[in-house]
This record gives sequence, structure tokens and C-alpha cells, in this order.
Amino acid sequence: MKKLENLLKYTTIALGFASSTLFIISYFIFNKLRPKMVRFGVVSPAEESLLNLVGVGLLLFLVFCLLSFLRIAKYLKKARKVSFFSVVLIIAGVLSLLFVFSDIALLNDIGKQYKHGLAQPEWLILYPIMAFQFMTGLALTFSHLFKLKEKDQTKHVARDSNIFLAVQYVGIVCGLMGLFLSSLGFLFPSAWSLTIHTTISSITLLTPYVLAVAYWFITKLQEKNRRWYDEKQMQDIGKSAFLTLIVSVVFMTGLFIANYKNLGGVVSILWLPLYIFLLLFLFSLGNLYFSGDVNKA
Amino acid sequence: MKLGNHLRKYRFEHNEISQQDLANEVGVTRLTIHSVETGKFVPSTLLALKIARFFKAKLEDIFYLTNKERKKK
Repeated sequence: MKKLENLLKYTTIALGFASSTLFIISYFIFNKLRPKMVRFGVVSPAEESLLNLVGVGLLLFLVFCLLSFLRIAKYLKKARKVSFFSVVLIIAGVLSLLFVFSDIALLNDIGKQYKHGLAQPEWLILYPIMAFQFMTGLALTFSHLFKLKEKDQTKHVARDSNIFLAVQYVGIVCGLMGLFLSSLGFLFPSAWSLTIHTTISSITLLTPYVLAVAYWFITKLQEKNRRWYDEKQMQDIGKSAFLTLIVSVVFMTGLFIANYKNLGGVVSILWLPLYIFLLLFLFSLGNLYFSGDVNKA
Repeated sequence: MKLGNHLRKYRFEHNEISQQDLANEVGVTRLTIHSVETGKFVPSTLLALKIARFFKAKLEDIFYLTNKERKKK
């Protein structure tokens, strides 16, 4: 078991360094390609093949994020408390993981627009996003090297609360991102696609939450004398569900009234993701709020 | 009327047992013990009895009724 944990630790650290290095290389590749592409100059096949390195870097970063979450979750299970640093890492990690998909979409758009002789404003979004991912990668690697230590953990935790709280943080991030993305549909209704913007994006945004819940589910299955929630968690979930019910009814009624004259418009493909992400956000926020001030506990 | 408790005192008298260890013994999460101890959460009869049994004390020695409102931190 100890060997397996060490293997996981060192693989994650190696991936962290590899993906960070590839982010730096990607920066230089972009600096080489961007001036040519913006001026619609000729990009040689050799230069184009450099983009494969960017793709490999993103793939490594994706695996690195997933392994990092696994290590953080394992650490949190026995951690004395969910520290502020852990919360920041989880939020930044989830955002960076989701941004991998936006990187791919942006690079795809840039390539298409270059081929059709169109401007590529996506470069301006790509740089800050990848800089954020690079910084998150460094912070995660740093935490694997120096922060996630056994001495900050308790020996035995019969019934977990930290993983439950971590799931709520992931739920808040995914819910907020989903609400933001779905709201964009009202700003750009003619460009909104049911398949890409609603279906694929919603599934992508829900993936981190599903993974977090799956991990919590597995830890529960491993528990002796399993009870899904203890009595305080059950009470918090009840309060949170009630809050979610009230706010979501008001919100959905407001959405219906606001779009009353155009219910066949873009709202017809946006109401479901809006509803799902609103529920996710409110329920997670409620659980976290009613569980008390975690950092003081 | 509120439910007060001497949980902290009993923990200290019991080899300064940590909230986590007490939580493990009575089958709840550490946050639940913390919430009971700070008066934010009223435990069920079952949990209160489990805590009393763990400390080998009477229920009313650990928990008591009070008219005082819990001070907000």
C-alpha cells in the first residue's frame, strides 16, 4: 500500500514537472506561430507539427490534475481540517482541468479562422488561461512536494467529513461555471449550439463533480458500519435542500416570465442546464454554509 | 431554552481525547462533535446516550438545559 502511494506521489510530481515544462515550451511555440497566423503568413508543416507538443502538454496536464485530485482527496480524508490552501488548490485545480477543454476549443477555433482568413481574437484569451493553468500546475506540484504530509493527519477517521466538504467546493465551482456558461447563451443566441454549447459543455462541466462524488461514494463503500451521512450532515442536507427548492422555484419562475413571449427561443435549450447548475451551486453552497465555519472547527 | 453541555471538560478529563477520537468512538464526524460541543447542533437522544456511555457518565452530567442563549462568535 505504501509502495503504491509512493508510486502515485512520484508519478504525480513527475507529471507536474513535465506538464509545467511543456507549458513553457507551448508559450514559445505560440510566440513563434501567432505573429505569422495573425498576419496570415505561411505556416510550414514542421511549425504546425509543433502544436502536437502543445497537445501532449495539455494531455499530461489533464492526467496530472486528475492524479492530484486523487492525492488531495486521500490526504483530506485524514487531514485535521480542510485548510484554506487545500480549498484554493481544489478550486484552482478544477478550473484548470476544465480550462483544458477550453484550450482545445480555442486552438481549434484559431486554426479554423486562420485557414479561412479571419481574425483570431482567441489568442488574447488563450494566453491568460494557460498562464493560470501553469501557475496552478506549479502550486499543485509544490503541494505534492512539501504540503501534503502525514504529520498533519490524524491516525484514524471512522466517519469522514472532509471529503464531503471537498465535494461541496467542487460542486460550487462547477455550478458557478455552468451558470456562467449557460447565461452566455442569452448574450449570443444566434451562435448558440445545442450539441456543442449546451450538451457537450454541460457534460464537461459536470465531470469534475461526478468524479468527486464517485470518490466520496467509493470511500463510503470502504467504511465499516457504513452510514451515508451522520445526523448533523443529514440535518444540513435537509436545510440545504429546502433552500435550493425555494430559490430554484423563484429563479425558474422568473426565467419563465422573462421569456414568456419567446419561449421557443434560446431559452428552450438553456433552461435545463441553467436549472441543473443552479441546483448544483445552491445545494453545494447550502451544505457548506450549514456545516458551519469549517476553518474555525 | 437551550441544551448546554460539559463535553469539553469531559474530553479533557478523559486524557484530553481529541474531537476526532471521540467522533470515531460514537460513530459520527468530527464536525458533528465540534458542533455539539459549541452548542450549534442539538444531538439526537441516541448520540447523547452514546457520548454519555463512552465517558461512563450520566446523561444529565454531560448535558443540561439552560435559559442562556448561545453567544455568537
